[in-house]
Amino acid sequence: MQKRIFTLAVFFLIAFSLLFLQLNNLQVLQAQKLSNANGNNNQITKEFSLPRGAILTADGKVIADTVSAKNVYHYQREYPYGSLYGDVTGFDSIIYGRSGLEASYNSYLQGSLAPPNSISSLFSTKYQTDSVVTTINSTLQETAAKALGSLYGAVVAIDPKTGSILALYSAPSFDPNPLSSPSGSVETAAWKLYNLGTYPPLLDLATSRSFPPGSTFKIVTSSAVYDHDPAIATQSFPVESVTKLPQTTLTLHNYAYEACGGTLPVLLQVSCDTGFANIGLELGASNLAQEAAAFGFNAVPPLDVPGAAASYFPPASFFSQNLPQLAYSAIGQGNDSATPLQMALVASAIANHGVIETPHLMSEIVNYQNQVIRRYQPHPWKIATSAQTAAKVTSLMEGVVNGGTAQGIALPGVKIAAKTGTAQTNLSSGSTATGRDDNWMVAFAPAQNPQIAVAVVVPQQPGLSPNPTGAQYAGPVVKAMLAAALGVG
Amino acid sequence: MASTTFRRTGKRATLTAKATIPRRRFEVGLLVISNIATIVAFLLAKFGLDQSYSPTLDPYVVAIVLLPYFGHLANRISAPDTDPAILPVAALLNGIGFVMIDRLDPTEAHLQVLWTALGIGLYSLTLFLVKNSDTLDRFRYLLVMVGIGLVLSPLVPGLGENINGERLWIHFGPLSFQPVEAAKLLLALFFASYLTEKGELLKRLSIRHIASIGSTLRSFGPLGAAWAIAMVLMAVERDVGFALLIFSTFVVTVWLATSNKTFLGLGTVLFVIGAYIASKLFAQVNERFTIWLDPWKYAQGIGYQIVQAQYAFGTGGYSGTGLGQGHPSLIPVVTSDFIFAAIGEELGLLGTTAILFAFLVIIGAGLRAAMRARSQFSSLVAASFTLTFGLQTFFIISGVIRILPLTGVTLPFVAYGGSSLVANYVLIAILARISHEGNDARHFGPQPPIQTK
Repeated sequence: MQKRIFTLAVFFLIAFSLLFLQLNNLQVLQAQKLSNANGNNNQITKEFSLPRGAILTADGKVIADTVSAKNVYHYQREYPYGSLYGDVTGFDSIIYGRSGLEASYNSYLQGSLAPPNSISSLFSTKYQTDSVVTTINSTLQETAAKALGSLYGAVVAIDPKTGSILALYSAPSFDPNPLSSPSGSVETAAWKLYNLGTYPPLLDLATSRSFPPGSTFKIVTSSAVYDHDPAIATQSFPVESVTKLPQTTLTLHNYAYEACGGTLPVLLQVSCDTGFANIGLELGASNLAQEAAAFGFNAVPPLDVPGAAASYFPPASFFSQNLPQLAYSAIGQGNDSATPLQMALVASAIANHGVIETPHLMSEIVNYQNQVIRRYQPHPWKIATSAQTAAKVTSLMEGVVNGGTAQGIALPGVKIAAKTGTAQTNLSSGSTATGRDDNWMVAFAPAQNPQIAVAVVVPQQPGLSPNPTGAQYAGPVVKAMLAAALGVG
Repeated sequence: MASTTFRRTGKRATLTAKATIPRRRFEVGLLVISNIATIVAFLLAKFGLDQSYSPTLDPYVVAIVLLPYFGHLANRISAPDTDPAILPVAALLNGIGFVMIDRLDPTEAHLQVLWTALGIGLYSLTLFLVKNSDTLDRFRYLLVMVGIGLVLSPLVPGLGENINGERLWIHFGPLSFQPVEAAKLLLALFFASYLTEKGELLKRLSIRHIASIGSTLRSFGPLGAAWAIAMVLMAVERDVGFALLIFSTFVVTVWLATSNKTFLGLGTVLFVIGAYIASKLFAQVNERFTIWLDPWKYAQGIGYQIVQAQYAFGTGGYSGTGLGQGHPSLIPVVTSDFIFAAIGEELGLLGTTAILFAFLVIIGAGLRAAMRARSQFSSLVAASFTLTFGLQTFFIISGVIRILPLTGVTLPFVAYGGSSLVANYVLIAILARISHEGNDARHFGPQPPIQTK
């Protein structure tokens, strides 16, 4: 039996050698592959177990910060203002990754090992993080949320001279706190909830979703007139409520079949659809498409957070056999679609002598010693039009507030340039009683030295009046934003 | 028993005094080393977790360090010649296990200390009660009946409980216990006892004789019974691990006792058949095979645990992330079934290799005790216990690193679990007793050969 016990000992030596070989295989040969594998959450868990820099508004309010917590990661990301800054900061989720500024400035926010500067620091691991200071103005952001109230919609406010985004708010909004929870089930539940509905909270209506811009697009059409065919500007269009369209028996009618006509300033002031439809047809497809592209349509705005969508204007070739569509596209209907960010950039272009500054949310990055290590340098994105055209369109847009469709937003002592938009989303019915309109307004002020350009959309949703308009729903929001920005009213 | 004879001469008194003291002193030295390893690991884990350490006296780590000395005292009093490596190495594994569990789940770690106290208590008690290993031979049928009763006890309504689809726990009020851990010892004792007597009969058996020998049923009966117990474990309680463990211990013990290789072959064939049937019949068993063959395909489902364990080993690499610095809590039920993966992540290949060596030391000491044992029965008991201990270690580590399908037995001394800890302390107490007897016997003269025909 001693021989067999010896055999048994040999067996165990072989068996344990086998274990040793496989351990070498896993921990040496395949170690790299396994530790970098996609499903290996170790790396990400490690990231979540480090401190993380704060995100601040331009006026110094902390809108995202990491605090010590009693969970497996020892840290927890906190967003003190809940859903107010959701679309700005984004979330920092273990399961769903990151979005917003959390994603685009992750390399700064993430902790890195501080170099030891004393003997005792050799025995401790200290992490240092950078903070991101945004361009967001907390007063304007709060105003946007408050002014929208219970309405679904989006507000984008930009400093036209620098491209700094002053407010970026989309409702329904999401609270990044549960999405950044250390608990997987809390994250999953929040993710599910925030992806529900016609306007899911996680979809940023301000930058990621486009709507027919309606009459706000007439700003672009007006610019096209001065840039490509100035003679049209002095032409007087007949007063009519319905206009005939070429190549078809279809007609295009004004809002509520009102009759209007005249020269460009009057047409824009009352937002005359029949007049602008004819301007579009006279301008021609290529001029209008070219102007739209110059204003940023069909390009993704280079915003410094992920998810911004391109706005759409059909290519010139699309209209060659379909001139009625050109009439519709000239008034921001048909196949046109624009994000609120794009329309804010259109307003910015007119406000800033025809130049669109690159929109951005980061103002500066500050290290743990409060030194600025990176500062945003303004630079133009597109030259939309000439300074002369911009000045002319500005005065047209002032007329819209001065006795036109946007007179409700007038503020004492401030010259405001604006344009309303009411995009009918159900054109075929020919009815005006559907209540299914996307309601817009864009504006900037003061008209001669603009501090702020705003775009607001209140898309079709239950609870709107039967004949909603941009002036009715987007107007008060724009007015509140301008008043807050300029400190009047 | 009849086949084994020992010559004794009366020189015990003079020689014992010389040999005894260094052995026990050596044991204290090894215990101190295991204490240092445990305490350093504990401090490192605390520091790794909190990035700072406030020196407070943790009563639990004090307890885990001091408790083995009671075992040492029992050795001194009752088994002064026993192998000095067994208890300290067990204490080391127990200590490292405690540090890992404490770092993952302090509540479980505190319970583990209580179980360790009970384990060391039973270790000492076993040494005091079993003064002579041969006395165990007397209770053969009592042992087997209690053993089988324990195996079947989770099936008693009101007593058993399903955990993770396996029915292998029994409950007494707030206490839960995995009876099969105790049963494995009783059954191994029974095998040794039975085979010591019937070994001769089984020796001549082979497949060829099945038809010609009329008493086939009686001869192969025990094998069939062991197979039946394994099948019950697998079929009703879904416990593949212990079924495999008990059955393979039995088959190898038969071979040890008889040198008849027929049983090894027959046993393997029977188990493969059983496992195949079980995998066809029971989703639980089938799942184990599926995720063994390709866990990556089911990485987000049934294979999640095993895949996370592979990641943990990879993340650990050569030297590990450092105690308290990894994230082994990403592996579900890491403190019991997957504690070895946690060690792999935080202590790396160096740590896992050290653990393998520690187990080899205990296995080596056990087999040494079996070789030097005073009687055929105690030799078979020592071999069979070591076999069970070694196989259990091999099966669980193989499962975690995917050499074999996952069996769900615990890693002796290291994993969280009271039944396993207590049973394994009793196991090494018997080994210590037999080792003592063997070393002691040598003082009567030249090493006695164990006669086997």
